Amino acid sequence: MEILNPRIRLLWIAQGAIAALVLGIVLAAVDQWATDVPTSVIAGIVALGLVLGIAYAVRLYQVWQFELQSDALYLERGVITFVETAVPFVRVQHVDTQFGPIERALGLSSVVVYTAGSRNADVRIPGLTPDRARDLQDTLRELAVESEADDGV
Amino acid sequence: MALSGAISGLLLPVAAFAILGESVEGIDSSWVFVVAPLGLAIGVGYGIARYYRFSYELTAETFDVTSGVLSVQSREIPYGRVQNVDVRQKLVHRLFGVAVVSIETAGGGDTEATLNFVAEDEANRVQAEIRRLTAAIEADDGDDTRPAPSTEADTSAGDRTDSAEPRAARELLFELEFRELLLYAGTAIRPGAAIFPLFLLLVLTGDPTSLVPESITELSLVALSAIGIVAWALATSAISAAYTVAGYYDFRLERDGNDFVYERGLIERYSGSIPVEKVQSVTISDTLLQRLFGYASLSVETAGYGPGDSSGSQSTVPFAAESRVYRFAEGIAGVERPQFTSHPAMARRRYLARYAILATLVVAAAFLTAQVIGLERWYFAAVAFAAVPPAAHLKWTHMGYYVGDDHLVIRRGFWRRETTVIPYFRIQTVTTRRSLFQRRLGLASLVVDTASSRTFTGSVPTIENMGLEDARTAHENSRKQLQRTLRDRARDENVGLSPEMA
Repeated sequence: MEILNPRIRLLWIAQGAIAALVLGIVLAAVDQWATDVPTSVIAGIVALGLVLGIAYAVRLYQVWQFELQSDALYLERGVITFVETAVPFVRVQHVDTQFGPIERALGLSSVVVYTAGSRNADVRIPGLTPDRARDLQDTLRELAVESEADDGV
Repeated sequence: MALSGAISGLLLPVAAFAILGESVEGIDSSWVFVVAPLGLAIGVGYGIARYYRFSYELTAETFDVTSGVLSVQSREIPYGRVQNVDVRQKLVHRLFGVAVVSIETAGGGDTEATLNFVAEDEANRVQAEIRRLTAAIEADDGDDTRPAPSTEADTSAGDRTDSAEPRAARELLFELEFRELLLYAGTAIRPGAAIFPLFLLLVLTGDPTSLVPESITELSLVALSAIGIVAWALATSAISAAYTVAGYYDFRLERDGNDFVYERGLIERYSGSIPVEKVQSVTISDTLLQRLFGYASLSVETAGYGPGDSSGSQSTVPFAAESRVYRFAEGIAGVERPQFTSHPAMARRRYLARYAILATLVVAAAFLTAQVIGLERWYFAAVAFAAVPPAAHLKWTHMGYYVGDDHLVIRRGFWRRETTVIPYFRIQTVTTRRSLFQRRLGLASLVVDTASSRTFTGSVPTIENMGLEDARTAHENSRKQLQRTLRDRARDENVGLSPEMA
């Protein structure tokens, strides 16, 4: 099983921090225009959010792994709900590599695999180096073409 | 279509101006006499232009549609990719003898091609022609000569009076008798119908709260609510029954080569074709009442409709004796009558806990209402807890799954029981999910995704709360069986081709 690049934790921590910050701003706004919220409470909630965000990011990184098996791309992930997904190569419609601004700053990239499925039709593998992402994209594309068959649609 | 263009051309600007004049201050009403005719002229012109710019063609391999006045779109749909071809006639359409043809493929969310206002016969001809050409291409796979369309049809949507294709090859599979239709109407539950009585009440009274007298005792308030709920339920079932009768009157299902073709409707007529090859999954559903009478309904899902698309009801057999429905399922999906495995007792504990939380919420809601309107004996709401154990037990006993040789069968639901049959060959992804609680109880949920655009519950087929080991086995098995069916198919195709290659 392959694990993600450790830098992905920074991305997830950053996302958690942004969420905690937004929560803090909302609480500050409530304090300003609605009822009084003590500053210490706001600070405490934001700090708690940050700690939880960090713990979540670390745990998610420990859990996240994927593997190219003989017939399918197999992924394991999830902290609260643990999810194992198999995406058979025959069912791969197309494969993207993507990166957002924070990912770009961290030198990370994601691979997104699309199937014709009705929901959760896209499977994302975050936290790959751009080289590994491109490499994985090529491999998946080749495997999809190799196993070329009826797409079941 | 020109007529419709003219009508919409006439109404649209007038209506738009009326709304604009209402809402925007300072628009002189006399302007309407200048702008409305101008808008009318533009509207009529646009309608006519749209009519003349719209054309479709049935070529040997693709169905081509060209449309658009200012920006032109031309689209080619290969017959092999067509999922459903539906013909719809609302009341207005029937008065003018026209119909709407919609062609669905698996791509995109919207209907891929819509022919508005084609003559009734032409609509049926297009539907039959697409089926014929699809079948011809499939039978002909690997051969270079392509079948020619039966007519050189370069038809702009107009009045064609050809008679439809002869229906010699059609075989009648199912017809809904009037007695069955009434029984169906009486036993089908359409939750959507529950809105209409409320809407009606709102429209008729303006303010429903005015119905409640100012001074009212607690007992009569409870009685009044009870009467209200009963009246609501009655009105809902009446509307639901009327809807069912109107929708499924004169239902016929025929098999035409490799397609199922159905027709239905009293006021609005619907007809659709479903290629057997495109069936993603089959669902048999029966409400509690229908189970008592020994009836069930069967529907097939294809990948054609976009998510949340309610236009195409794919009820293939809306209502028939249960044994007959299972025979149909056998015929369509080749499924044997499944031997269901029941879920572990731990699963029941989850439902017990879940429903207990619901009951607590009910009591909490009663308490809050009591605080607001001064209801005294709110704690009577605690009877909700009495319903928790039987509800959890019924939920649990009505769940089951069957891991077959070619299919996965999932059953769930008490009030409305649904049995979904998923061929391994249609699987897109397989997922095992375990939430925090499930991990503690040694349970897992198996999610089997297909390309079905619409499952009845609106969710991905899932076997909830099965034992962890069973889930793992079923997960592995689904993957293995998918690969096996793929190999089988590839081999069959090679065998089929060999005489031509030799």
